[in-house]
Amino acid sequence: MFTLQTWIVQALFIFLTTESIGELIVPCAHIHPESSVVQIGSNFTAVCVLKEKCMDDYHVTADDIFWKISRATVSRDQYTVINRTSSSVTFLNIPLINVLLTCNIRMFGQINRSVYGIRIISGLPPEKPENLSCIVNEEKKMMCQWDLGRETHLETNYTLKSEWATEKFEDCKAKRDTPTSCTVNYPPVYFVNIEVWVEAENALGKVASDHINFDPIDKVKFNPPHILSVNNSKELSSILKLTWSDSRFRSFITLKYDIQYRTKDASTWNQVPPEDTSSTRSSFTVQDLKPFTEYVFRIRCMKEDGKGFWSDWSEEASGITYEDRPSKAPSFWYKIEPSHAHGTRSVQLKWKTLPPFEANGKILDYEVTLTRWKSRLQNYTVQDTKLTVNLTNDRYVATLTARNTVGRSDASVLTIPAWDFQATHPVTDLKAFPKDNVLWVEWTAPSEPVNRYILEWCVLSDKSPCIPDWQQEDGTVHRTYLRGNLVESKCYLITVTPVYADGPGSPEHIKAYLKQAAPSKGPTVRTKKVGKNEAVLEWDQLPVDVQNGFIRNYTIFYRTVIGNETAVNVDSSHTEYTLSSLTSDTLYMVRMAAYTDEGGKDGPEFTFTTPKFAQGEIEAIVVPVCLAFLLTTLLGVLFCFNKRDLIKKHIWPNVPDPSKSHIAQWSPHTPPRHFNSKDQMYPDGNFTDVSVVEIEANDKKPFPEDLKSLDLFKKEKVNTEGHSSGIGGSSCMSSSRPSISSSDENESAQNTSSTVQYSTVVHSGYRHQVPSVQVFSRSESTQPLLDSEERPEDLQLVDNVDGSDGILPRQRYFKQNCSQHETSPDISHFERSQQVSSVNEEDFVRLKQQQISDHISQPYGSGKMKMFQEVPAVDAFGPGIEGQVERFETVGMEAVVDEGMPKSYLPQTVRRGGYMPQ
Amino acid sequence: MDLRAGDSWGMLACLCTVLWQVPAVPALNRTGDPGPGPSIQKTYDLTRYLEHQLRSLAGTYLNYLGPPFNEPDFNPPRLGVETLPKATVNLEVWRSLNDKLRLTQNYEAYSHLLCYLRGLNRQAATAELRRSLAHFCTSLQGLLGSIAGVMAALGYPLPQPLPGTEPTWAPGPAHSDFLQKMDDFWLLKELQTWLWRSAKDFNRLKKKMQPPATAVTLHLEARGF
Repeated sequence: MFTLQTWIVQALFIFLTTESIGELIVPCAHIHPESSVVQIGSNFTAVCVLKEKCMDDYHVTADDIFWKISRATVSRDQYTVINRTSSSVTFLNIPLINVLLTCNIRMFGQINRSVYGIRIISGLPPEKPENLSCIVNEEKKMMCQWDLGRETHLETNYTLKSEWATEKFEDCKAKRDTPTSCTVNYPPVYFVNIEVWVEAENALGKVASDHINFDPIDKVKFNPPHILSVNNSKELSSILKLTWSDSRFRSFITLKYDIQYRTKDASTWNQVPPEDTSSTRSSFTVQDLKPFTEYVFRIRCMKEDGKGFWSDWSEEASGITYEDRPSKAPSFWYKIEPSHAHGTRSVQLKWKTLPPFEANGKILDYEVTLTRWKSRLQNYTVQDTKLTVNLTNDRYVATLTARNTVGRSDASVLTIPAWDFQATHPVTDLKAFPKDNVLWVEWTAPSEPVNRYILEWCVLSDKSPCIPDWQQEDGTVHRTYLRGNLVESKCYLITVTPVYADGPGSPEHIKAYLKQAAPSKGPTVRTKKVGKNEAVLEWDQLPVDVQNGFIRNYTIFYRTVIGNETAVNVDSSHTEYTLSSLTSDTLYMVRMAAYTDEGGKDGPEFTFTTPKFAQGEIEAIVVPVCLAFLLTTLLGVLFCFNKRDLIKKHIWPNVPDPSKSHIAQWSPHTPPRHFNSKDQMYPDGNFTDVSVVEIEANDKKPFPEDLKSLDLFKKEKVNTEGHSSGIGGSSCMSSSRPSISSSDENESAQNTSSTVQYSTVVHSGYRHQVPSVQVFSRSESTQPLLDSEERPEDLQLVDNVDGSDGILPRQRYFKQNCSQHETSPDISHFERSQQVSSVNEEDFVRLKQQQISDHISQPYGSGKMKMFQEVPAVDAFGPGIEGQVERFETVGMEAVVDEGMPKSYLPQTVRRGGYMPQ
Repeated sequence: MDLRAGDSWGMLACLCTVLWQVPAVPALNRTGDPGPGPSIQKTYDLTRYLEHQLRSLAGTYLNYLGPPFNEPDFNPPRLGVETLPKATVNLEVWRSLNDKLRLTQNYEAYSHLLCYLRGLNRQAATAELRRSLAHFCTSLQGLLGSIAGVMAALGYPLPQPLPGTEPTWAPGPAHSDFLQKMDDFWLLKELQTWLWRSAKDFNRLKKKMQPPATAVTLHLEARGF
């Protein structure tokens, strides 16, 4: 393709650079040589000769010639102007090229024009072909091949030439794609020598290989023989006769054969000795074969003298040798099964089928004989490989023979000892190890002569019972491998029992793995005990089904959440391990890996937290602390007890006992002996008005103010000329507060030891007359006041008193906070806070108002201010008030018109008098 | 192996005889065969191979000719093939001939037969048959060369073909088709006879030329000295 393109280009050049005037296309110049194949490394010179006509037309001479190689101008150093019309260019040491060389002229000093071009191709002459050899495939034509030698980079033809002394044969031209071989076009003529050689030729040269002279029959590769039959012999079970047909040349040349055979399952071939098959033949009897075995044969041939080539192998053919009697007695063993009947044993005799190479045919049946000492023979013919018989406890001798169509095997003899037989003499140094993918068992023979050994094995598993397989070994053997389908990573329990003439010896056991693997599960670790700085880990041994090998050791990995992992190796015999140097109050993650020889497996991770305190540490702290506290308390109590007088003096001020007081001493108008007696008081009460106010015991009225008020009262009392009476006891620790007594009639009978009674000695005016001077008098008693609930009958008494006779009504004011709140849910916040802060005043005022409302007419309840203003007048309306009007300074007054009416607090107003409740 | 002096002299004499013979044998083959033995053996093998080849070729060709020529018991009288060299010669006469004459006769006979055979080839109708005949012709040509080689090895000159007596195949107009087929039949028959005879000749010659086994042994042992 490339060559074609370059020629087109060249033609185009010539076309363009020719004068087309006239009838012929004449190029303006010529290059000699026209085209050139140049040997790589040689020198090359081209000459461009201008034509006179061109020179005249374009006014050019050889001086105006310049050369180009593939559009690149060649350096003028390489030019030589030979004469006026000719210029030459020389290239030294030509490399590997394939270029276009053009001769150009420069016209009029500036116009360049190509006038002629040639192609230069470089390459190498062919090398002499070497290693010429020929082969004649039978019934085909001769094929010869050779080595080319170096690459020529040029089109090179290879021709195989052949001739006889008297005649030349047609040349064989090698194809371009297979230049190293050629198959001649004529059939070979055997037994006549032929001379063959190869000629290689290209533009740079021609070279012939060495001539070889041979008879084509010496280069023949025959067709493979065809096996006709493989026959066995009834007389001889160890032979097979092979017959075949082979080349038609067998009639006039001598052939030799190569016969190979193998058993059907084998992969390697056995060779029939070559000297046995070194002449032409069409059959061969192969000997020393195993009976009743299928053999496969193949055959090839070549010329007897070794000239030529072996044929291909024939197609394989197979035949089976004839049967022979079993060559070996079967392996024979027994198992005593538990029997219920007394005096008999159930014995299972078992044997192995003979392998084909020992059975030497199809086993038809087995014959078992049982002989008890000096008794008759028992015969059994069995087709199975086991027989269960009931035997007495005596010693028995069992024999076993296998039978095929040709004959019987030798007998296997087995002694079944009496039931009380004591097995002895076990094998020693029993070892089991895997090697070459089988499990080997090795032992040292006992000192006693051993007839044979029985090896039994089974898979140890928790899931399935031990189903033993077994095999028998000769008494001389002390090393064998288990011929069963063993599985990797299963634990095998192997038992070796020596069998002596009088019965079996003691069995020996060993465990082994065909191939260990890493456990399929890791051990599950857990804590047995966790201490402040240590933890006792425990785990269970892995079940045998997951062990997959002998557990060699364990590794415990433990770490904190942030810490590095620490690994501890533990021997496989342990199931417990104590981790020490742990940090207290820390979460630990621990896992455990079990390792066999082949690797390990991690178990699940277990976390535990070490406690902050060691066991008993808390107790050690808490108990002394508690004891110390108790001791302190006890000491305190004792101290208090010892110093109780002092404490009492400080805490409980010496309160005078009202019962022991004599009012007469500070109020001479009132005989003290009548004070406590109601019956006695009323008759004398004409001029004394006593009002009683009950005060809550838990009132938080500050004590100092109480004292202040007390002082004030005292002062007033001093200033007051009227009568007063203070009755009541005070309990320890309770605080009392001053209260303002109303002007209502007091009832001295109510004042028990738990109430303080405030008495106001009023010089009351009569009816609408307000006394000018108000005198308060307070009892010094701080005895707690009784709740009104304690004496509900008192309230009733008020009404009764109020509505009945003209005797001075008794008035009791009770705390009614709860009822107040319930009945006025819409009370404003301000009002409420006010109410809370001045509850006692409210109590007082409320009661007062209630009292008022009992007596005043409707219009009085209409307005607060009015009500407030009317307060002084109320006293005037109060029935039973005999001239004594209580003057009090109202701080907040709740106007209670009636039940269900809105209640409100009035702003604090300090009226004359200067008392302001807190 | 220890040899006695008497044996040694005998061996030496024998060796000298053999060595004397070697340069006397002219170079017969381009490969430079050591003697005529191998080439005689090869010629013998070739005649047998050609016998074998001819058997199958004749069967095919006679089938091509058709009945009655392909019938096994067909034995026509020999007519109009006088030009063919006769292989059937008197045993006494044949025995009286020397090797050179016998070889010359063989050579001449096969030269003629080859010429006729080439004419047969041109007549053949099927390509397969033509190919078989052509191959047989080539092989026969090889046999001729082989005989020439043997003759040269034994120092016999090749018979010069008489000018003008070069046998040529010319289909005579007088020959009917049947007679032509008869000629072909006889040609193949004669070829078979000649090959059989040649095989015997070369076998005899081979045995004759084969140096005694002892001599070879002696020769080898002598070289061991």
